[in-house]
Amino acid sequence: MAAADTRPCGDYRTSYGGDQTIFATRLALAACVAGLLLLCASPLFLGKYFVSLLIQIAYFGIAALGLNILVGFSGQISIGHAAFFGFGGFASAWLANHGVPVFFAVPLAGLCTTVVGLMFGLPATRLRGLYLAIATLAAQYILQDFFARSTWLTGGVAGSPAKPFAIFGWQADSDVRFFYVAWAWLVVMYLGATNLMRTRDGRALVAVRDHYLSAEMMGVNLTLYRSMAFGISSFYAGIAGALYAHYLGFMSLEGIDVLLSIQFLGMVIIGGLGSITGSLLGTAFMVLLPEAVGAAASGLAGSWLDQLLGLKSGIAYLREMTIGAVIVLFLIFEPDGLAHRWRRIKAYWKLYPFSY
Amino acid sequence: MNGQAQSLLVPLLVNGLIIGMLYGVVAMCFVLIYKASQVVNFAQGELLLVGAWVCWWLLTRYHLPFVWGFLITLAFMMALGVLIQIALLRPMIGEPVISVIMITIGLSIFLQALMKWIFGVFAQPFPPVFSTRTVTLLGLTIETAYIMSATVCLIVMTGFAWFFKYSREGLAMRATAFSQQVAQSLGVPVRRIFALSWAISAMVSAVAGVVIGVVNGVSSALSFYGIKVFPAVIVGGLDSIVGGVLGGVIVGVVENMAHYADTTFLHVGNLYEVAPFYVLILILLIRPYGLMGTRDIERV
Amino acid sequence: MSRRSHAAYILAALAALPLTAHAQNKIRLGHLADYSGPTSDVGVPYGQGVDDTFAWINKNGGIDGRQIDVETVDYSYQVPRALATYKKWLGQGDVVAIEGWGTADTEALVKFVGDDHIPFMSGSYAAALTDPTGKGGPRSERATPYNFFYGPSYSDAARALVQWAAEDWKKKGGSGKPRYVHMGANHPYPNAPKAAAEEYARELGFEVLPPIVFALTPGDYTPQCLSLKQSGANYAYLGNTAGSNISVLKACETAGVKVQFLGNVWGMDENAAKTAGSAADGVVFPLRTAVTWTGDAPGMKLMHEISRMSDAAGSAYRPVHYLAGACAALYMSEAIGWAAAHGGATGPKIRDAMYARTNWVPKGAEGVCKPSTWTAEDHRPSLQVDLYQIHVKGTTEAPVDELMRKGTVTLTRVTTIDLPRKKDWLGW
Repeated sequence: MAAADTRPCGDYRTSYGGDQTIFATRLALAACVAGLLLLCASPLFLGKYFVSLLIQIAYFGIAALGLNILVGFSGQISIGHAAFFGFGGFASAWLANHGVPVFFAVPLAGLCTTVVGLMFGLPATRLRGLYLAIATLAAQYILQDFFARSTWLTGGVAGSPAKPFAIFGWQADSDVRFFYVAWAWLVVMYLGATNLMRTRDGRALVAVRDHYLSAEMMGVNLTLYRSMAFGISSFYAGIAGALYAHYLGFMSLEGIDVLLSIQFLGMVIIGGLGSITGSLLGTAFMVLLPEAVGAAASGLAGSWLDQLLGLKSGIAYLREMTIGAVIVLFLIFEPDGLAHRWRRIKAYWKLYPFSY
Repeated sequence: MNGQAQSLLVPLLVNGLIIGMLYGVVAMCFVLIYKASQVVNFAQGELLLVGAWVCWWLLTRYHLPFVWGFLITLAFMMALGVLIQIALLRPMIGEPVISVIMITIGLSIFLQALMKWIFGVFAQPFPPVFSTRTVTLLGLTIETAYIMSATVCLIVMTGFAWFFKYSREGLAMRATAFSQQVAQSLGVPVRRIFALSWAISAMVSAVAGVVIGVVNGVSSALSFYGIKVFPAVIVGGLDSIVGGVLGGVIVGVVENMAHYADTTFLHVGNLYEVAPFYVLILILLIRPYGLMGTRDIERV
Repeated sequence: MSRRSHAAYILAALAALPLTAHAQNKIRLGHLADYSGPTSDVGVPYGQGVDDTFAWINKNGGIDGRQIDVETVDYSYQVPRALATYKKWLGQGDVVAIEGWGTADTEALVKFVGDDHIPFMSGSYAAALTDPTGKGGPRSERATPYNFFYGPSYSDAARALVQWAAEDWKKKGGSGKPRYVHMGANHPYPNAPKAAAEEYARELGFEVLPPIVFALTPGDYTPQCLSLKQSGANYAYLGNTAGSNISVLKACETAGVKVQFLGNVWGMDENAAKTAGSAADGVVFPLRTAVTWTGDAPGMKLMHEISRMSDAAGSAYRPVHYLAGACAALYMSEAIGWAAAHGGATGPKIRDAMYARTNWVPKGAEGVCKPSTWTAEDHRPSLQVDLYQIHVKGTTEAPVDELMRKGTVTLTRVTTIDLPRKKDWLGW
């Protein structure tokens, strides 16, 4: 529902269905479609580097959306998202290696991750806020230990090879082909989430976040919806992990740690809690920021700033510090994230010259 | 075999108690901040790290005697705590919990990278601080540094107890923890109290950091103690200083007992690391306010 | 804010555009290093060795008259960054070979370098990277035709240590079965050689005790040391990286554990000896080069010249990893030179170049880099492992070069183990 956007004059809604359309105006729909077409055509003129960055944005974007559904829409903090992401990857690789066609292994892996998510979600409904955050942090470490221990699932030392994505003989073994697969999944998942948010269940989730006592009094079953939020978010994380595994062709323990969970949280917060476009914006920001810092540093190489700070040796530290600083600065100056900033920009132009 | 197993049990128990006191020190710092300002400090481990590095630097670069280096480190950490509170946490007053958590996480990322940039990536040993490096206690040989940490823990605990019960600032801090608005309306300088709590917490963290540095050498992975503090404070109760120490001791003992059970019967291998987290989840399910926390957690 | 990040995007796009200004006569190489992440304590010396070697080659005429253009990227041991960097290099189209680093990036890129035909010389010596066809050994897991590394694989190094332990037991006049225990985290890196080493230990008559787990982060490991003491182990293999190994060594020294510790290639070096102090006394670990920095060999002259590329005064002490990195870079550059002379410096030709010589020692590095042979069926360069022992006399606060100069810390060669090139050890 486009309540936060300003509607143009004369744009009246005359039915409930009309009020709940995903795209508020025809222009919004056209812009989205045009953007998608541009994206589809982009591998033709973008280099491999940018295509791979876009693929990363795609699967991280799906995971970030899952986390946003949990944190932003249902108000339950989770610092264990990377564990579900990893589980999805391992499950999909395992299924693919045991005969399931990859096309089906990906959603099946999502379902497996949902089950695991529910396992953690059900007891988590008894906790709120900070305690939930700490419990999910513990869950992250416990699941990491589980991955390390269960060599049948994770392939232990050598990791688990994952077959490339294939459907009816068409193999997505090159970056460009996988680009289409990843973004197709992204579109499907994002439409799904947008649709979820305008249904009764979506509204129930938001109600649980905003004032759970009132929600309970109105008949919203808190346990059900809190667990459902965990389940849905794990589904998204599982799909994202599966895509990651089939892109790399290999799934291993390295990199599935609490730092990745924190990065997901960063994506969600920078993008904007409780905003679907925000998830994608936040993901794009977090994926492109290290590259931008690297490019800026190599651009500055040799200049006085470089010599002053010892940039050449300190560039990676600078990257980490920038990420930490960006999270801090966003929280202080733009707590509602990039989505809010984007809405303000749109509102500025729509209300010009009365934008204050 | 039984006799051999017994001979492992007592040393492990003693080790658990001693290490637990160290966890207790870190837990006390965490609880202090939470108690005063309801902020969860995910950057606690990094405060340990900064304290350890600064003390190491003073000792090796300027060759100060340990006592002087230590005191200067404490002063520095106090200033750092106040700075962090003013710069980062004041804008976050009133923001939802997730924002506060994320800002401390962002701070921890920033501090980690900064420490690596300034001090490099190699682990560095502390110059020898104590004349006798090890002490034998009940059949277990341990480093003197741990004895120091246990002593410090007891001193700090009694210091806090006195502080909260008898001093004006302590009383003001308790009032702020109970209800910020009422305290403010009665004239308590709430912001100054927050800054004070961060300052004290940072100072005591430096103590813990120095102890770990003396024993293990200073390296960036020292901040993992900031993650270990969570089981300790959850078990003990997020807003109880004594609970924090108790929780720390329990976690230390649980770790060692889990290792004992692991090597003697279970042979799973990894229990030493994960047992505290299992305990954390268990406590959260049964008794979320911990052993000594206040019972205001609403259950769903 | 979005305007600022907009500017950043544009900057990134401009900076990363395929720069067609690359002169045709430069050879482009990629170098992934960890200078700031969790493995940076060993990544810094190794990466510096690689960088300095390429700089030296450029200064002395390049390869076949052509200069090398190496792009070094510090990916902080984060897989997405390694991936993005690789794709960027691929997009620019002219990177012919990559000097890689650790398990994380190597494993993530195995499939891609295989498909894109780019030789990848890694700092990860996992045995899983040694089988180019994937079918060479009975326990081999995957085909890695474009992955190379210089040095014994983790499994072979562990086997060499076990063999030395068996000989040492006999020499010490030990009676009965010696006891061997693997200590390490439950994580791919320490687990890599565990099964292979334990099996070989059993073969050689050891009683293999249940493994003892300790995390990859420094911490209090007194319980593990007490278990070690109680188990009566004689030889303990430390599988983790240096940071946590140091904690274990110190804890075990305090607890009074008398065990012969066996280190792994990345788990012990001069810096670790300095930090661990007297606890590191007596630890035996494998070396990838025939000598250490203070060793005497004809090839050390070249190494000193290479070191001067980043240390003009010539006073820095280079740890063992520096020499290994330099050797890895030397092998790669000679392979590129051979390829350039036999049809062009392209990926597949460079791979063939790696197979061109047997018992290959790069020119000028005699006595330092060990003779290595890569074949199309077997990517294990050498099954000869030099084992060194650390001796520490006194306190170790001084900088490493002072410690080595004064002899407070010494590395002495204990033995050289020649393992048989068994086919069933391939890939495992």
